[in-house]
Amino acid sequence: MRLGILSILLFAYNITSAQEFKADVSYKYMYSNQWDKTIQTYNFSRPFLKENQPLLMNGLNTSVSYIFKNEKNLKNGINLSYSYFRSAAENENFNNTLNLHFVNLGYILLYENTEKWKGLYLELIISATSSGIFRNINGEPFEYDETKSKAFGIGGDILLKFGYYLKLKNKSFLSPFLSIGYTPYLYSTNSEAVINQTKGLTSKNWTGILTTQIGLNFKIRK
Amino acid sequence: MDRRHFIKQSTLLSIGGTLIPSTFLSACRKENLFEDINYEGKILIIGAGAAGLYAAYILKSKGINFQILEASANYGGRLGKLTGFANFPVDLGAQWLHGKNNILGDLIKKSNTKITLDDSGTKYWFNNQLINSLPQDANIFEGDDLPDISYKDYALQKGLGDEYKYIVENIAGDQGAAASRLSVFGNNVEEENWNSGDDDFKFQETFFDLIENQIASKVKDKILLNTIVSKIDYSQSEIIITDSHNNIYSAGKVIITVPIPVLKTGDIQFIPALPNEKTTAFSKIGMDGGMKVFLKFSNKFFDQNIIGGPICAAYADESIGKAQNDNVLLAFIMGEQEEYLTALGSDTAITTALLQELDVMYNGQATASFIASHVQNWTTNPFVKGAYSYSTIGIGDARKISSQSINKKLYFAGEAMNTNGHHQTVHGALETGYREVINILNDVKK
Repeated sequence: MRLGILSILLFAYNITSAQEFKADVSYKYMYSNQWDKTIQTYNFSRPFLKENQPLLMNGLNTSVSYIFKNEKNLKNGINLSYSYFRSAAENENFNNTLNLHFVNLGYILLYENTEKWKGLYLELIISATSSGIFRNINGEPFEYDETKSKAFGIGGDILLKFGYYLKLKNKSFLSPFLSIGYTPYLYSTNSEAVINQTKGLTSKNWTGILTTQIGLNFKIRK
Repeated sequence: MDRRHFIKQSTLLSIGGTLIPSTFLSACRKENLFEDINYEGKILIIGAGAAGLYAAYILKSKGINFQILEASANYGGRLGKLTGFANFPVDLGAQWLHGKNNILGDLIKKSNTKITLDDSGTKYWFNNQLINSLPQDANIFEGDDLPDISYKDYALQKGLGDEYKYIVENIAGDQGAAASRLSVFGNNVEEENWNSGDDDFKFQETFFDLIENQIASKVKDKILLNTIVSKIDYSQSEIIITDSHNNIYSAGKVIITVPIPVLKTGDIQFIPALPNEKTTAFSKIGMDGGMKVFLKFSNKFFDQNIIGGPICAAYADESIGKAQNDNVLLAFIMGEQEEYLTALGSDTAITTALLQELDVMYNGQATASFIASHVQNWTTNPFVKGAYSYSTIGIGDARKISSQSINKKLYFAGEAMNTNGHHQTVHGALETGYREVINILNDVKK
C-alpha cells in the first residue's frame, strides 16, 4: 500500500515537473539465441507439422517518456515501453501461436544537440524488463491442469537511441529514430516449457537479447 | 549539407541501418536445425520402442539413411495392444498420457486422437476395509530438504505405520519401483524439470495405436524384427554389429535404445568394453519388475480405483475413457508385489491370487463373476525385463552420464536416458529419440 502511494506520488511529481512528453511507435527486430534454439528444436522434433514455427524476431514497440525540466543539453527522465512479438504457424488441426510481451521501465539520459546539428538527439535508456510468453493452439489459450501455458521473465535492458527532431508546430516535434538494445540477462525459467514443452533440454533458464528498432517519435515540449 | 538534405540522408540511413542488418540477420537465422547438413553415413537404431521409432521418424524426415534392429517379433517396445479380450482395445503396456504439455500432446491434437481426462474416483483398502479417504495424508514425498532414503523408510519416519505399507507401495509403484528401493530425494530432484502437467489422460483406442499410426507407420519398412543384437564393435571407424544369428550390420553411428536392464545385464557385448563410469551409471538407474493383469467379469462389482491391496496395490477400471464398457479390471503390479506374483510360476496362479484378494474386498464377488484374465508380465520379457526406470538411492547424475555419447559413435536413448524430468514416460522416450539425432548431427557438423 505504502509502495503504491509512493509510486503514485512519484508519478505525479514526474508529470508536473516534466519538460517534455514523448511517445513513439516502432518496428522492433529481436535476436535471442536461446529462443531461436528452442524454436528450431521444436521445428526439428515435430516432422508431423509441415509448417515451421517462425522465429520470434519481428515485433512492434511503443513507449512513452517524461523528460524532467532542465535547461542543459543533457537531460534525464523516465521511460515506459511495451513490445509485442508473435510467431504463428498454421498446420492442419494445429495452429500454434506464441505471443511474447515485454514491458520495460527505465531511466533515460537524453543528450540534445543545440549547436550545429540542432535537432539531433541521443538517448541512453537503462531499464528493468519483464516478459511474458503465452501459447495459443487453434486460437485458444493452451491450458493444461486448468492453467494457461505461460512463462514470465525478468532482467535488465540497455538501449541506445538516436534521432532527429522535425518541428511540426511551436512546441511539437516529430522524429524518426533508430535504436539498438541489449538485454544481457533475461531470467525466464519456463520459456522452454511453453515453446518446446521441455525443460533443460534445449536451453538455459536465461537468455540474452539483441534488438534494433526503427520508428517515429512524437514530442511535446511544455 | 542543408537541413533538408540532412533530414533526407539521415532518414534513409536510419531505415537502411535497421532494415539491412535485420534482413541480413533474418536470412542467417534458420527456422530449423541443421538445414544445411547432409549426413551420408548410415545410422543403426537398436530397439523399436518409442525412442527408436521416433529417432527413425526424425531421420526419415531429414532424408538420412537408417535401419532399426528390433529383438522381439513386434515393434512398440513397452507399448502393446490386446484386442478380442474385451469389447474395447486394451493397452498391454503404457496406457496413460501423463500431462498434455509435451510433444505427444501436440501429436494428439494434430492427429485428432481422442483422449479423456482420467478423473476416476479412488477407494483405499485400509485396515481390512474399503474407505473413501485415508486418516492421514500419505502424499509426503514432495518438498524441500528431503533425505536420500527409501520411500518405505521415509514413510515410517513420518509416522505412516504398517497400515500404510501398501498405500506407500502404490505411490512408489506409480514410479515403477518398490517402496524399499525408490529414493525420496532422487525422485524429487529428477522430477524438478517435469513440465507436462499432472493430469492423466486415457486413449479411447490405445496408446499403441497413436504410436503405430502416427510414428511407426512412417518407418515400418526399415525395421528388422527378431534381430537380437549380441555384439557392438566400435573399435574401428565403421561400427560393426553382430546379431544372435551372426548376421553383420555396419553403420557410422548407432543409437542404442534398449531398456536399462538389457544394458546392465551385459546382454550386448561392447568392443571395446564400455567405460567403467558408464556401466556404474547404468547400475544406479533402477528398474523393477512390472506386470499388468486384466481381469474380465460378468458384472461391475468393483470401484474405479482400488489402492492398497497386499497382493496388488493398484487396481483400475480399464473401461474408463473407452467407447465400450466391458467389466475389465486392471491389476497394475510393481516392485516386490510383482516379484511375489511372478514367483507363483503361472498365469493361473497369479490370477487366482488376485481373485482371492478381490474376494476379500468384495465378499466373494470376484470369483463368482470371473470370466477371463490376461497376464502381461513385462519382467519375463527378455528384451524388456521390467516396467520403467526409477531413481535409486544415490542415483546422482547417473542418467546424465548414461546418456552421454561414446566416441561420437554410440548414442543412448530411451526413457531411462531422459535427463529432463520425463523419464518413465513415452513422451520422455520420444524426447531422447530426437535429442540423440540432434547430438549426432551436431557431432557431424563439428
